[in-house]
Amino acid sequence: MELRNAGSAGTLESSDIMITLHPKTDEGIEIVLESPAKQQFGKAINTTITETLMGLGIHSALVEAKDRGALDCTIKARVETAAMRAAGLDNLEVYP
Amino acid sequence: MKTLQELECVKALLESHGLSLDDDVEYTIGIFRDEELIGTGSVSGKVIKCVAVSEKIKGEGISAKIVTSLLHYLSGKGVHHVFIFSKPESAEQFRSLGFREVARSEPYAVLLETGPHGVEEYKKELRKSFVDGKKVCCIVVNCNPFTLGHQYLIRTAAKECDVVHVFVVREDLSLFPYAVRLRLIREGVADVPNVRVHEGGDYIISRATFPRYFTRKTDFAAAQAALDLEVFVKHIAPTLRITSRYVGEEPYCAVTNSYNEAMKTILPKHGIRLVVVPRLKIGSEAVSASRVRQLIKDGLLEETRELLPESVFAFLKSPEARPIIERIKTSDSRH
Repeated sequence: MELRNAGSAGTLESSDIMITLHPKTDEGIEIVLESPAKQQFGKAINTTITETLMGLGIHSALVEAKDRGALDCTIKARVETAAMRAAGLDNLEVYP
Repeated sequence: MKTLQELECVKALLESHGLSLDDDVEYTIGIFRDEELIGTGSVSGKVIKCVAVSEKIKGEGISAKIVTSLLHYLSGKGVHHVFIFSKPESAEQFRSLGFREVARSEPYAVLLETGPHGVEEYKKELRKSFVDGKKVCCIVVNCNPFTLGHQYLIRTAAKECDVVHVFVVREDLSLFPYAVRLRLIREGVADVPNVRVHEGGDYIISRATFPRYFTRKTDFAAAQAALDLEVFVKHIAPTLRITSRYVGEEPYCAVTNSYNEAMKTILPKHGIRLVVVPRLKIGSEAVSASRVRQLIKDGLLEETRELLPESVFAFLKSPEARPIIERIKTSDSRH
């Protein structure tokens, strides 16, 4: 999947996460994370985001993540939707 | 906001928080419960402001709902670098929503931002034009349009300092478009080797740092000037090792004058000297861009010749300037 423009999903409400994906010219996933639990869970959140993107075949993206204590499944869902919007797709049929 | 009645509710809620609905606001939302407005927030350009939640409802995450909705609106317009203009007591709440603090001026305001390209990236870019020198000064100009007065100010600074950094206010709310202003300035100082002309960006007199500059109101101008200057002393001055700031005396504009007054108190506290250069006088009056615009408005284009560098006067006579001149003639804007 290729990101064509910026796309975001999620809210800033408690237990949610807002993800915005920006296309980037070079390879690699770069994540800017703001989270009240950054110290304890920062690494785990970054891993979930990276793995979800890799699963979608996205290897280049600038990710903004504003976390409000989201669970893994929420993070995954928000990343997938943001990716779909950033790629200009209507649904995730391409998802393996 | 649909009806005047709803708008009145918004104004009343803001007022109860010591805020007002700024006149440059382009988009406002309200959250109602049982016909009662419990929260509101607005957008102006890339700035979220005028956010308030009813005292009775605190702790239900209403402000998170408001900011989310405004971010969705902005992202739909392709705006991903977003500022929040907040009172100091609300800043912590916005930080918990993932915004980073840029600067604060107690007791008036705090500026926060979000997005991948924030003030740190701006400084990284700025660092590339760092030039070492003992006396490094900064001049912030709008140049609407560039006059012999601006040229005189920049040249005076260039004689007295090793390096002169000129920042051009980017916000495109002036009668002369940004690209034109920037070009005329660059042409006008091209022969002075120790002058660097920079794009002002979001951090010098922008709608984020100094919203009142772009409206006519002079109340609160001093408070907002203070915030703009906090950004300057905290981020821009240290990056370029600026030791002084040059300004022209301000005989006409009350908002600019109150900005100059704020500089007198704030800059010396941070070891930056403020140098006020008396205006260049031609005839009995000081040269100023507003004098030039007035002459154009009165249809006296020829009389601007003695107030402008040749290149600027030539521009005014060119076909490219025609729409600008038309706008000046019909506008009663201060800018």
